[in-house]
Amino acid sequence: MTVEDRKPGVYLCSGCGIGDAVSVDDLEQVANSEFKVPTCRHHAAFCSDEGVAVITKDIADGVVNQAVIAACSPRVMADKFQFDNAQTVRANLREQVVWSQPPGEENTQMLAADYLRMGIAQAAKITPPSSSLAGDFSRTILVVGGGTAGLNAAREASKTGYDVVLVERYDRLGGWANQWSKRMPHRPPYRDPQENDIAALIADVEADATITVMTNASVTKTDGGPGKFSVTITQGGIEKIELIGAIVVATGWRPYDPSNLTHLGYGASPDVVTGVELEGILADGPAKRKSDGNPVKNIAFIQCAGSRDPDHLPYCSSICCGVSIKQALQVVENDPEANAFIIFDELRTPGTAEEFYRQAQEAGVIFMKGKVNSVDDNLTVVYDDDLIGEEIPLAGLDMVVLATGMVPNSTNTDMADLEKGADQLVNDIDPRAALTFASNDSEEGEATVEVEAAPGEGGNTNDAGDSPIPGGPILNLQYRQGPHIPILADGFSDSHYICFPYETRRTGIYTCGPVRRPMDMAETAEDAAGAVLKAIQALNNASVGSAMHPRVGDLSFPKFGLDICTKCRRCTVECPFGAIDEDENDFPVLTESRCRRCGTCMGACPVRTISFDNYNVQMVSDMIKAVEVPDEFDEKPRILVLACENDAYPALDMAGINRHQYSPFIRVVPVRCLGSVSMLWVSTALESGYDGIMLMGCKSGDDYQCHFVKGSGLAKERMSKVGETLKSMMLEEERIVVEEVSIADSGSIPKVINDFAEMIEEIGYNPFKGF
Amino acid sequence: MTQAVPEQASKKYDLGFARWVYENVDGGDKLSMCMQCGACSGSCPIGTQMDYGPRKLFMMIRAGMKDAVLSSNTLWNCTKCYRCVVRCPRGVPVTYILGGLGSKAVELGYADKEDSKSFASAFWWSASKFGRTDERLVTAKYYFSFGLVDGIKRGIANLKIAFGMIKTGRMHIGAPHKIKDAKGLQSILAKAKEIESRGGSASS
Amino acid sequence: MSETENKKFTYYPGCSSQGSARHLDESLRAVAPELGIELEELDDWNCCGASVGHVGGGTLPNLSLTGRNLANASKQGRQDVLTGCAACYLNTHAGNEKIKKDVALRGRVNEALSAADLSYDDDLQVRHACEVIVNDVGLEKIKDRVTNPLTGLKVAGYVGCQTVRPFANTEGGGSYDTYDDPEFLDNFAEACGAEAVDFDVKTACCGGSVSVMNPEKTLHLIKQILDAAKDVGADVIATPCPLCQTNVEMYQEAINKEFGTDFNIPVVFYSQLMAVAFGMDKEKGAALQRNTIRSEKLEGMAKS
Repeated sequence: MTVEDRKPGVYLCSGCGIGDAVSVDDLEQVANSEFKVPTCRHHAAFCSDEGVAVITKDIADGVVNQAVIAACSPRVMADKFQFDNAQTVRANLREQVVWSQPPGEENTQMLAADYLRMGIAQAAKITPPSSSLAGDFSRTILVVGGGTAGLNAAREASKTGYDVVLVERYDRLGGWANQWSKRMPHRPPYRDPQENDIAALIADVEADATITVMTNASVTKTDGGPGKFSVTITQGGIEKIELIGAIVVATGWRPYDPSNLTHLGYGASPDVVTGVELEGILADGPAKRKSDGNPVKNIAFIQCAGSRDPDHLPYCSSICCGVSIKQALQVVENDPEANAFIIFDELRTPGTAEEFYRQAQEAGVIFMKGKVNSVDDNLTVVYDDDLIGEEIPLAGLDMVVLATGMVPNSTNTDMADLEKGADQLVNDIDPRAALTFASNDSEEGEATVEVEAAPGEGGNTNDAGDSPIPGGPILNLQYRQGPHIPILADGFSDSHYICFPYETRRTGIYTCGPVRRPMDMAETAEDAAGAVLKAIQALNNASVGSAMHPRVGDLSFPKFGLDICTKCRRCTVECPFGAIDEDENDFPVLTESRCRRCGTCMGACPVRTISFDNYNVQMVSDMIKAVEVPDEFDEKPRILVLACENDAYPALDMAGINRHQYSPFIRVVPVRCLGSVSMLWVSTALESGYDGIMLMGCKSGDDYQCHFVKGSGLAKERMSKVGETLKSMMLEEERIVVEEVSIADSGSIPKVINDFAEMIEEIGYNPFKGF
Repeated sequence: MTQAVPEQASKKYDLGFARWVYENVDGGDKLSMCMQCGACSGSCPIGTQMDYGPRKLFMMIRAGMKDAVLSSNTLWNCTKCYRCVVRCPRGVPVTYILGGLGSKAVELGYADKEDSKSFASAFWWSASKFGRTDERLVTAKYYFSFGLVDGIKRGIANLKIAFGMIKTGRMHIGAPHKIKDAKGLQSILAKAKEIESRGGSASS
Repeated sequence: MSETENKKFTYYPGCSSQGSARHLDESLRAVAPELGIELEELDDWNCCGASVGHVGGGTLPNLSLTGRNLANASKQGRQDVLTGCAACYLNTHAGNEKIKKDVALRGRVNEALSAADLSYDDDLQVRHACEVIVNDVGLEKIKDRVTNPLTGLKVAGYVGCQTVRPFANTEGGGSYDTYDDPEFLDNFAEACGAEAVDFDVKTACCGGSVSVMNPEKTLHLIKQILDAAKDVGADVIATPCPLCQTNVEMYQEAINKEFGTDFNIPVVFYSQLMAVAFGMDKEKGAALQRNTIRSEKLEGMAKS
């Protein structure tokens, strides 16, 4: 669309108190005289059928193809204000003007007028996005892993009407469940160990014609993106390429290696076993000693064996207490005279497992709280009993069971580590860590892009001496950011758990089951269903060119002006989702369906050559400049707030909904993510006379809440370097801040804003005002 | 890894003790449900004077500390105020269990030196012989269970109280009250004892 | 309960009624008709076993004591069994509940009772006198009967342990009061025209039978009760339990000696208060001569 093609129309709503708090007539004046918008209408309620009809008539008459609706927040009435053949721009006069400012005052009017100006300026720089839909799309879901997680995922996908390819590296389906004697209870009253029904699940899957089961197979290469992954599967030496819509990674777990647990007696006697080993024994009948085959009459379980321990697994595997309770119950049920002792530090029986614990108590299983000091080769367990306050020996035991934890199969440990790319797993944990990447020409060696750590925080995790996680890549992604699926902490795959479970940082690829966190078979079945639903969403969205959430429905994607690209590689390195690769000439190449449309690449580009049809650097720049900045004698400062649309903007809306009042001097520009913030906006604002700039967005760091993972952290990094620039301009560093907020902060946001405004007034007006 | 086992472990700790208590002590079957919250010990008016409060005692039962449990004064210091019983969130009948452990302690010979045992014996003697507890006879018998000299000392120490009781008519003077069918009562009690020694606990 | 007819109960006095708690028995018998209660004494009743019976004799023999009482009671009819003594109530009520609930246990008890040709096959209720007064008689009736209100008498209502715990808040126990702040005793005192003072240790333990065996362990517990009564200026401590009455009364001198205090607080039964309030004779009705620490004030209020 060009200037000639754009036909903006301004629609001023006076409903919801807008008309009572500001003068709509004056706003119309702004649209007419300042911007010469030919079509400008009022209505008391544009969201009503009548109101909508006014707009659709203008569009149908060909008079308007961009509706600038100055009314409520863009977060509401989106369906009402969705038009074929026209773009919609929203100016938020309700939540962020009349609901958060005193009615009838001059500042309130100025605020409303500025938002209208911003809306009109925005319309002038956008064109309707159209998606890129070239090529074939697939409705087949790839499930990697044939254990409980993978089998459930395959079955769920098939029942929902999708073809499945199920890849299992070993020769049979079922995974660890094949060895279990009984299951944790998964039906009310949740009191007894239940039958292991894995065989039935395997039979179901094998009988299902829409599931193609490939055993003794593994994924050797994955390319493309959601909707059209090109996956190479190798089975018996033969390679097969499948076109896949979305991928579910269900590679499961392995038990923590007990040979590390000599301090708990492992290895000193054959009768010190792990919980996994005991399952194998119980599958064959009542518990018998490994050493002499005698029945087990006295058994002790040691919980947290090599878990919650910085020298072993630092995390809790959540189900080990339940498993020990199950096994203790099985022992006591087989022999009512048997004595079972469970020694725990904390006993974790989440949810319905509390009933299971009480059942065990009723059956006479003895629970003891304390820390085990030693296990000798006579199986005497000496522990510090917290509740008695003494060291107690348990002597005369027949078997000691170590309840060990779960290690996720985030890599394929049957495969050798790749020479290049193994570091990826460690580096990716810290979004600010240096990334090593391979250039296509291996002789050039490796180059490193350094992103400085914020002061006071740890740097590259490599320096800490952590060894990279062993094993080959499960999918061997042909992405420039590396072949592995990124890992969060402790070896589990990364997801933004609070909002987006099952996600990895690779669009269209979802994890479920113990590879993403420790869980039992019942939880795994549910998890698999969840991941499959995501996978289905992904491939459906991709096939119409739409983004996944959080920007579902967005058809835009970043476009790269390669003519001024300097090949600095910031976009390819910093994209949180690895959506951008490099071509043979080192230029960035986007795979659209991998893109989440966050705009981090746009914010990264130093020459600003990346843009979206409906969101670009120039657009926001113009919105910033559209605001009327009074000179300092009016004593009305101007503060730019770049608010991310995920947490910050909704929190601001909610402050308005709750009628919290805050400084009328702020001007809020919604941005997709703080990662998309371009430095140009900062300098534009300063040059235009804004006195302060606040970047308001989601939490960054290890327990980030940034909905695009890295954006808010990157913004913080970039802003930390702005200090030098400000100094050179003789401006105070405090004029620019990054505030991390959450959607729940609507109560405290007014204070944050007001404190900043107060601080700005103290340091004085921007000396560039009026220039 | 070999570690020296504490001395006399086999005497002090009995892996099967908890199960034995669950099966043989009155109210013991509920003991397995204790979650060690400590409401009982916290509520006990005399807890600080016990070797171990009830909570700790129950944990010691689980750890198999048979000797320590059955020879503790916890069983004897309980005033039977039942505060623990009404407050236990798991419905463990604490007072009853302590009483039951007391019975077992006597049976198994752990309580021979306990004052309470002497008192209980004196009490039972009166109740079974006369069908009634004669307070002065029980008191006298109790005092003299400590020996002649001690008995006399105690009697003298409490003389004033005794006189007060006599003066107000609250100490029975004369032959002890006896029920009409004392013989019948004695046969009942003998029979009950025989049934009990057959096995199982009185609480089924 | 009708105004004209009295309700009949099988009355189980308990061993202390023959000695240290004679005044409870006497005053209760005196006020019962006023409250519409007819007490027919349980024939040939025996000791309930109190706190130490099971230790002295074993669990089943101890329970058989209760079994014999109930077997004899059922011979007297199906009316409820009433007792004024807290320990008798506890043992007999608990024993009764156990026997009724556990068929096998009942069988064993009856096997023992058969040695004297007795059997308990009935479904009797065992109730405490205070619960009967609360549930069957009611405070209005007490007020109705007061001809000589105890105006100006400050009463510290010391409920103690076993009268309310563990049965007062159970269905089987009549659901008549709470464990942590029972009001019945204060209500009785006020119904009699007295002033029930704020007594926050009302459910503290007097040491029970431990105070009898080893008072050195529990004197401080009794002192706590006396301190609280003195602090609120109580004229008398009222109590429903024979052992509490004796413990709190008779150890005051030992406490004074041990702690340097000067307690001399009369400890009376609620039924003694009622007797005076109903206009009865201070000796024949209220048995006030039985208290070793006399209350001049209360005795002065008596009509005769």
